[in-house]
Amino acid sequence: MQMHPLIELKDLEYAYPYSSPALSGISLRIQRGEKIALVGSNGAGKSTLLLTLNGMIRPDRGIVTFHGNPVSYDRASLRKIRQKIGFVFQDPDVQIIAPTVWQDVAFGPVNLDYTDELVRQTVHNALHNVGLEGFDKRPPYHLSGGEKKRVAIAGVLAMDPDILVLDEPTSMLDPAGSEDIMDLLDELNHQGKTIIISTHDVELAYLWADRIVLMEKGRIIASGTPEEAFSDKELVRRARLKTPILLELSQELGSRGMKIAETLPRTVLDIIRIIEQNHHGSICLSSNGYGTIHVGDVDQISGPAIQTILARASYDTIGVMGSRAKICARQWGLTPDISYAVIDKCILQAMNGRTSLILTTGGMISRVFERVTVFNQTNNRSIPIQSLIKSENSDDLPGV
Amino acid sequence: MFAHDFLEEAAHHNALLQVHPYTKLLLGIGSIILVLLTPNYIVPCILAITLSIVIIVVAKINLKFYLKLLGIPLSFAFISAFIIIFLSEGVTEIWSLQLFPWLTLTITEESLNQGLHVFSRVFGGMCALFFISLTTPMTDLFGIMKKFKIPDLFIDLSMIIYRYIFIFMEKTRQIYLAQHMRLGYTKPREAIKSFSMLFGSIFITSWDAGENLIHAMDCRCYNGKYAKMITSNPVEWRSLSAVSLYLFIIIGMILWTSG
Repeated sequence: MQMHPLIELKDLEYAYPYSSPALSGISLRIQRGEKIALVGSNGAGKSTLLLTLNGMIRPDRGIVTFHGNPVSYDRASLRKIRQKIGFVFQDPDVQIIAPTVWQDVAFGPVNLDYTDELVRQTVHNALHNVGLEGFDKRPPYHLSGGEKKRVAIAGVLAMDPDILVLDEPTSMLDPAGSEDIMDLLDELNHQGKTIIISTHDVELAYLWADRIVLMEKGRIIASGTPEEAFSDKELVRRARLKTPILLELSQELGSRGMKIAETLPRTVLDIIRIIEQNHHGSICLSSNGYGTIHVGDVDQISGPAIQTILARASYDTIGVMGSRAKICARQWGLTPDISYAVIDKCILQAMNGRTSLILTTGGMISRVFERVTVFNQTNNRSIPIQSLIKSENSDDLPGV
Repeated sequence: MFAHDFLEEAAHHNALLQVHPYTKLLLGIGSIILVLLTPNYIVPCILAITLSIVIIVVAKINLKFYLKLLGIPLSFAFISAFIIIFLSEGVTEIWSLQLFPWLTLTITEESLNQGLHVFSRVFGGMCALFFISLTTPMTDLFGIMKKFKIPDLFIDLSMIIYRYIFIFMEKTRQIYLAQHMRLGYTKPREAIKSFSMLFGSIFITSWDAGENLIHAMDCRCYNGKYAKMITSNPVEWRSLSAVSLYLFIIIGMILWTSG
């Protein structure tokens, strides 16, 4: 028997009073663990669609099912759904309702009737998850845009939802702040949460999402992988968007006779690979061959240990992945060179003969190894990767 | 015009932030009560001066900022005291001036006493109030309210109001600047019109914010509860005994000066 999709929308119609339809003929299936980006121009109906997911808007026609059961709109069932589907508003000032960070994050758990002890625990974990430990007593008007966004996300995480819905998560952030938030969303997705965002930043959606849903005037006009959704120039034009720069670049290279692989490029790394394949080998491999990628687990290394390693070995690039690693790096006085799309950027560095160090935590370590190994296999490369702990134990410090 | 967050800002950065709010409230409220009980003007003045020294030296509040803050109520108090001194009745005349045939300004010993008394009371009381508001952030006071069993409804409402004051002040500032840039306050008539528009937009903004608030709360399963944070350091005996000693000395002074 086929599993039910996590959320399914069937033929939704909705119109705000006195205005043209905001949603028409919307059908969408969302599977567990997906990273979906709704992309469309202003007023395309993205926010309205997101608000139907957790029952904030009741569609005029059509049904929303959650775990295969149609959503009913009485108070008790709505509460259940809203606990499972966390909604993060575009403007954190709308969402943050309490005078201190702690109280705001505790708002959901308290209303879910958790015990005091459990409330303290969940709030602590949520703040830990988004990298805002020690912010408990801070009033929200003292926080920066990125910190406010994190508080908003923590407030939703504290209710332990399966699905996170974020309306324009990066619209009010500076580029570094946006990358931090997207890295956080990747991390949460890695922990098993399904994530749905709306955005009109095509570059961001193209790089981040597993699936793109293009919207125009309340309708879904395309749904598929980022490559599929953005390849059709006509659709992109209709949705009042633009083609992501990497895709455009590869299309232009292709039209000039360069061989483009089946899968379209999503990162700078992919583009470099295409160019290299056409070039029959590396563009220019530095004399000392590939650089090594070192991976360190911040839970197993202490600050001073890192400092001595850094003092003895020289790394060209330091990348930090995940909120906990970022907190540690900040505490140790390290300024990371890369904090988003870390693995790809480090592979790029390695191909250019530069060594790099990736600091991260727990399960993400295996992800780094997996990604590099897969890359080596599919591209017939031999980029060396090693764990920092092992090399330290065998007293064979890298780069010494 | 928009000095709204300075008080809270100062409170969040004062050097006595870690002292238990009980201790600070005891000093503040105790001083206010004692000021109201004193029959003369010497003790309130001493209280005001010592509290000011505590605010500036111990709590490390910026002196200029504090004087500016104190200037507002004191200017009112000064005018009132001035009027009381010249206009209230008394027996022992000190100085008198016939301004018009129907108006004679007279200073008597009694009126002088009364004027100074009112002024010193305001002075002392304001210093005590400023001590509380400059050393204890509102967020700590909410915890105290909860401990004193003030109804949840009242605390929840005040927390929401507190949260939104900052948002509205920011909005007001933006609209005010936008009006100013388009020369909204150049002529008096214009200024009145702009001012009314400012209030109109703020009203609409607050209405919107109210609706948004309900949505935000609904999205997070609102069920009539609002988390309260009661986390303070334990009451420190040293600071508490210092405060008690100070209050006892003041009581002693009151008894001594009133014979």
